[in-house]
Amino acid sequence: MEAKGNISPNLTAGSARQYQPYLEAEWGFKNSWYPALFSSELEENQIKGVTILGREIALRRARGQVYALDDRCAHRGVRMSLRPTCLTDETITCWYHGFTYNLRDGILRTIVASPDDPLIGKIRLRTYPVAERAGIIFVFVGDEEYQPAPPLEADLPIRISDDKNAVAHILDEQAYVRGIHRRGNSNWRLAVENGFDPGHLLIHWDNQIIAATDRNLGLGALPVTEDAIKIIDEPGGPKGMMNMYNTRAYKFFGENREIGLKARGKKPYYARTSVFLPGLLLVEHWPAPGWAQYEWYVPIDNRHHEYWEVLVGRCTSPQERQEAEYLYEHFFEPLALKDFNDNDLFAREAMQSFYEQGGWERENLCAFDDATIVWRKIASRFNRGIQESPHRRTIHS
Amino acid sequence: MRTVTLHFEDGEQRRIKVREGEFVLDAALRQGVPLVHQCRSGSCSTCVAQLITGNIETASDRSTSLLAIEAAEGKRLLCSSYAHADSELALHYPASLIYGTRIKVVEASVAALEWPAPSVARLTLELATDRDFTFRSGQYVRLKIPGANEWRSYSIASTVRELPCLHFLIRILEGGVVSEYLRTRCRQGDEILIEGPMGAFILRPVKAPQIFIAGGTGLAPIMAMLDEMRYRPGPRPPMLLSFGCASERQFFYRDEIELRQWWMPELRVILSADRVENRNSDLYEGNPVAAVAREPITDRETVAYLCGPPTMIEAGRRQLTEMGLAPEHIYAEQFLPSAISLAGR
Repeated sequence: MEAKGNISPNLTAGSARQYQPYLEAEWGFKNSWYPALFSSELEENQIKGVTILGREIALRRARGQVYALDDRCAHRGVRMSLRPTCLTDETITCWYHGFTYNLRDGILRTIVASPDDPLIGKIRLRTYPVAERAGIIFVFVGDEEYQPAPPLEADLPIRISDDKNAVAHILDEQAYVRGIHRRGNSNWRLAVENGFDPGHLLIHWDNQIIAATDRNLGLGALPVTEDAIKIIDEPGGPKGMMNMYNTRAYKFFGENREIGLKARGKKPYYARTSVFLPGLLLVEHWPAPGWAQYEWYVPIDNRHHEYWEVLVGRCTSPQERQEAEYLYEHFFEPLALKDFNDNDLFAREAMQSFYEQGGWERENLCAFDDATIVWRKIASRFNRGIQESPHRRTIHS
Repeated sequence: MRTVTLHFEDGEQRRIKVREGEFVLDAALRQGVPLVHQCRSGSCSTCVAQLITGNIETASDRSTSLLAIEAAEGKRLLCSSYAHADSELALHYPASLIYGTRIKVVEASVAALEWPAPSVARLTLELATDRDFTFRSGQYVRLKIPGANEWRSYSIASTVRELPCLHFLIRILEGGVVSEYLRTRCRQGDEILIEGPMGAFILRPVKAPQIFIAGGTGLAPIMAMLDEMRYRPGPRPPMLLSFGCASERQFFYRDEIELRQWWMPELRVILSADRVENRNSDLYEGNPVAAVAREPITDRETVAYLCGPPTMIEAGRRQLTEMGLAPEHIYAEQFLPSAISLAGR
């Protein structure tokens, strides 16, 4: 799992130019799989609209299958999901003038009040590849020319192989997958950088889950050796990096005498975090041993992201499943996904106006921000394209 | 009077009438078809086209830069050829190239002057007011420096994303008008006129592997193309850049190339110098054409872009064809020092 290629990146120097593409990626990385809805949020015949990378996309389930199309009628730009109209299993109809499109290829099939219209068969709506796995509807958002779409696995965390009690992968058959998603009022990059930030434990020091479990997360972690951050570059697979909190490469600080602050809790607890393209997080053994927390920060536009918090456990029997459900509802969701991560959401939003006003050039990063810089460089290298602002005039190529 | 049908790369067609004793290019321009051209004397090869059917021949009293093997393949320089029968020609660029953008003269000022190597200047110009100026990555413009009467041609080393700034890589020549200006008089804020965009040296919309070969400041349009590749929709194909300079001391832009390599894992790079003094150097000793000789061509659709002096282009065409590339997949832009030709690129 080393960086490939015949050049060696300068991973620690503060060379902002090396991560210039990341700075351009205000609207996110395109040509990637993003979660759009939980399966349970889209019933048969329902149509729902989502916004990913600034693109408005309508999702419709028909005969069990989920289809994704542009959510703006080609006629006059009406947002179709605002008043869902399903007249057949194969089509979606705009509720305003009755333009009716095939779900499969987006081609205009008929117009309710103009069945012989010359436009029929000529114009179409853009469609998007969809993958419904592990109870989540994923959509491949990007250029129509990007075909075929890479497998969903390439945009998910790696399978953990260096841990004898390895957490389950979200696509494992025995995986128990449950979570929430909500809107975050910050640019998606501030959210990703918060997710793996080795220096951000101060915001969690008095959280309910810490008090209730008597864990000591420390106040922050500082990389002390070169192997603190492992680059992940699987051929045709996930790209990202791993913070090796479970090794001596990181030094944890439990106390700051200067200001008399000490991390609470008696049981040391280090949850290893990794981050992957296009911008998702894996926290192993969190919120409890054997569990994994996945987080996506799906760019909605340049100032908002959809914050996905998904827990993955392993259940081999109905009893274990029942126990997992109980833990999820009475412990994990209220104490981890909500109370604990509320602080993260709050912190990202507190930075938004600064970064919106050129903060990327004015920030002063410190010793524990190595991971942030490495992430920016990796993201600059392995992204499949930078989403352009929808407000930008198109440039021919 | 003959009818000549022009087939553009994007499927567009135009029909023109060519009179007896009239060059095909002149006929096209007269009828409002602004075919790509530059020298109008048969030397720059910019107006080259492929004869499909009919009879179009080079004027017998003109010597042109077209090679005999190219002529045998049906290549014709339209600025120096007559139509002896109704004919069909294929142009190696899309009609949108000539109809989409208009050549115009715009004002700009010097924003920066840097020296990547002792004999290479990197000039940054900023457009004064014209915000509609646009171009394709790989195209060139003509510049008129303060106090000069003549125009000089230079490829743009940047893309439209850097607008209103334009970057140029300029080789310093003894006694060159622009060289002299850059070395002695150039000041930030100086006014420079830009005429353009010109040329048909642009990226092709293909998914096949791409080879870029650049010699010296011939790297300029190639840099623009590489940056364009970063933003092109769809998956990026494998790319190979072979870039060479005369000597290690003259070598420039290594850091810029490394950045592109970091940003595009699909890009492989071979750097070369004609003379390598340092034993520990990672540079290939030889020219950038020879440097790709052992590269296997696995895809018959592979496309190559060459930019450099005429000898490099010629050697490149020959070698790439031998390696299995189709001649029509090889695109080239010649750089001629101004002493030899009107083009000072």
